Amino acid sequence: MKFEKRRANTKQEIPTASMPDIVFMLLLFFMVTTTLREVDVHVQFTLPSAKAIEKIENKRLVSYIWVGKSGNIQINDSIVKLKDIEPIMYAKRKALPNVIVSLRIDKNTDMGQVTDIQQELRKASCLRINYSTNVKL
Amino acid sequence: MIKKKKIAEASIPTSSMADIAFLLLLFFLVATTIDVDTGIGLTLPEYVTDIKNVKVPKDRMAAILINENGDVLLDEKPIPIIQIKNQLKPRIISKIDLPNDKKLIVSVKTDRKTNYNVYIQALDQIKQAYFEVRDEYSYSHYGKKYGDLGSDEQTVVKDKVPIIISLAEPESIKK
Repeated sequence: MKFEKRRANTKQEIPTASMPDIVFMLLLFFMVTTTLREVDVHVQFTLPSAKAIEKIENKRLVSYIWVGKSGNIQINDSIVKLKDIEPIMYAKRKALPNVIVSLRIDKNTDMGQVTDIQQELRKASCLRINYSTNVKL
Repeated sequence: MIKKKKIAEASIPTSSMADIAFLLLLFFLVATTIDVDTGIGLTLPEYVTDIKNVKVPKDRMAAILINENGDVLLDEKPIPIIQIKNQLKPRIISKIDLPNDKKLIVSVKTDRKTNYNVYIQALDQIKQAYFEVRDEYSYSHYGKKYGDLGSDEQTVVKDKVPIIISLAEPESIKK
């Protein structure tokens, strides 16, 4: 007697026809949620960490000022001097009235410099600021 | 009879579509910045040229002074930074039911040589004190944490426990 192997008649392949659709869906999600990196950071800094922190709800309102270890101040893509902050930030505020200035300052900076920057921001009437910090666990 | 010629099926090859889509996906994955900006928010006072000194009654003020070595004075008494929260909380709570112009003002004054990190730690403590008072207040009145309240209730709590932090300009260091 001859035994016949029983085999299922179903196909053995994973259907890949819908794979592009899935991938496109993912792609679309990332395209919509992405905000592209706009600037290169030229200064070196380590942020301080804190517990009582808030999230900035709207990323498009945020404008950054970096202060590095060596005391360099960076706005946009360039290192600026202290007295240049006011005109630059004033122009930014004009374009975006409720701008939030996020200060990314190295944790070993002196308060004197921080205050100087804050004074310039006050002159430019950018009053909403945010000290950028890491989350302390 | 003439047999009809079979028309070859016309189709766009779609097997590489997934590869292309993956490539695009990868690009956006790499270019995306997911990190959410976190930090301590503050509102600076407006820039005025003529400075008027307004007398504030002493019991309304909590004056925090940080010197260049990172030592902290709260109302002229030296305390460690991590104690600021516990010292401030009862004072904030005691002023919850007072009208808005009688609530606690926390004034932070630093030296020009004070370390930024110390300043952030102190500010963090102050904020934590306020957040905890807000949480406790909303828990006792609404049975929920502050973050879970509706926006109307949040405004009520915010109005009851406003965060008033005054940044004094630092004294220039003595030479």
